[in-house]
Amino acid sequence: MIVVADGYRFNFKDAINVFKFDETDPASQTFHGAPMKAVDIIAELSDVYLFIEVKEYPASYDPDAITGEKACSEIDCQKRPKHSEWLKNTLKYKFRDSFLYRYAEDKTEKPVYYLCLLNFDNALNSVMQKNLRNELPVGKASARWVKTLAQSCQVLNLEAWNRNFPKWPAQKVSAE
Amino acid sequence: MMKSLKFQNFTAFDLLDISFSPGVNLLIGENGTGKTHVLKAVYAACDITKSKKGFAEKINDVFYPSGKQIGRLVKRAKTSSNGSLEISRAMPDGKVVSIKLSLTSHMLTPNKAKVTGATKIWLENPFESVFIPVKDMMANAPAFRSLYATRNIHFEEVYADIIDRAFLPALKGPTEHQRSKLLGILQAAMDGKVITKNEEFFLKNKQGELEFTLLAEGFRKLGLLWLLIQNGTLLSGSALFWDEPETNLNPRLMQTVVNILMQLQRLGVQIFVSTHDYVLLKEFDLATLEGDQIRYHSLYRDNNTSKILHKSCDTLADLDPNAIDATFGSIIDRQVSKDMGGLGK
Repeated sequence: MIVVADGYRFNFKDAINVFKFDETDPASQTFHGAPMKAVDIIAELSDVYLFIEVKEYPASYDPDAITGEKACSEIDCQKRPKHSEWLKNTLKYKFRDSFLYRYAEDKTEKPVYYLCLLNFDNALNSVMQKNLRNELPVGKASARWVKTLAQSCQVLNLEAWNRNFPKWPAQKVSAE
Repeated sequence: MMKSLKFQNFTAFDLLDISFSPGVNLLIGENGTGKTHVLKAVYAACDITKSKKGFAEKINDVFYPSGKQIGRLVKRAKTSSNGSLEISRAMPDGKVVSIKLSLTSHMLTPNKAKVTGATKIWLENPFESVFIPVKDMMANAPAFRSLYATRNIHFEEVYADIIDRAFLPALKGPTEHQRSKLLGILQAAMDGKVITKNEEFFLKNKQGELEFTLLAEGFRKLGLLWLLIQNGTLLSGSALFWDEPETNLNPRLMQTVVNILMQLQRLGVQIFVSTHDYVLLKEFDLATLEGDQIRYHSLYRDNNTSKILHKSCDTLADLDPNAIDATFGSIIDRQVSKDMGGLGK
């Protein structure tokens, strides 16, 4: 099943369903339509859901997107999160809002795997992955939890994605 | 300025033909791919312009093959074989000249080796060069020089050379603005300046004088750089060779070290660095400004033939193969495999 999002085309060969989760077209059956952040793609497999977020950096850097307010002074600008903090928060809140949205849809019965496709090198992706896993959080964050929000979180570049997920090949649309 | 290096059947190499940047040259590759051999060969060619030593003798002293048998530098083969190294250099007038050292595997001493090319012009135009080896020698400087001069101790000559360079007295006259600025950056990072007493180095600051044996190795490295800038070894037209600067250096100090090296490049120092370290490599990438001259050289073994090959490029993003990034890639792959089982496979 093929889906295109943020300039990348994915083919989830073993998926039951795949759709652009942050669909902005009201005419679409999968129109998002809620005042919440959203990951780019959701793929449903037989036993799991995949949440997929694509980020080209720094092209996607928008420090005002977290607060929703435009920084209009130098002091406001200084208060903006650093790039790595901004990116991590963006990935984190997109996941959490998407999970809540799916909860409201009653679509959280399968474990959720969060896959982020970034254009960083492997070392920077490793750092981002470590921080993101801690904050999502991955696994059961408390002894009181009986379920997880995220079963797993992986941050990969395109090369690592295609090496690790041959059943879900991805490519840049512009590279076709 | 060193232009290029060609190895034929030399040490681990079958054939290597590598062109250098006039600014910074970064060599990466797994262990055993010959990064240090490249640095040593080019350094030897630079050093002889000042020391006036024979090229074959200098090569033999910095490589230090077993028994000092220079023929052992020829790539090993079942039968007697020949090897060579050729180095080209751009002279101050822009003219490019070369010297070539030819060896056979059965040669015992450097005086049997053949040195050809523009040897006269090469030696008529001297310039400073310095090789900073992996192992720190600053704390062991006392008596090392006299021991090295009088006894046959098993150390490559780069260790004696670096101590000699560090002991050079300061240049006469006021320190010009750019050098003064670099010294200031280093003094702030290591909280003091370096002084010498009876062949022993100390870091001097408000608290007093701390001998190098008690100083963290990372600070000794900054101290060495401080000395080389202060005594004018690293001036425009000189060459710096640094084998794995990251050794014993806190990653947080790497930004300072890279900043200094990039500034030296802007002052006209040609720089050769070998590294295994991601942070160091990335700091160079981040510190590069328009107009800077930097080249990345990847040394790697061909999967089929095991021969050492190389690729060079001008940006870190284009570096392929990249042994450092591949290591992180392998970690990511194993993490994916551990967390996701067979999903997506």
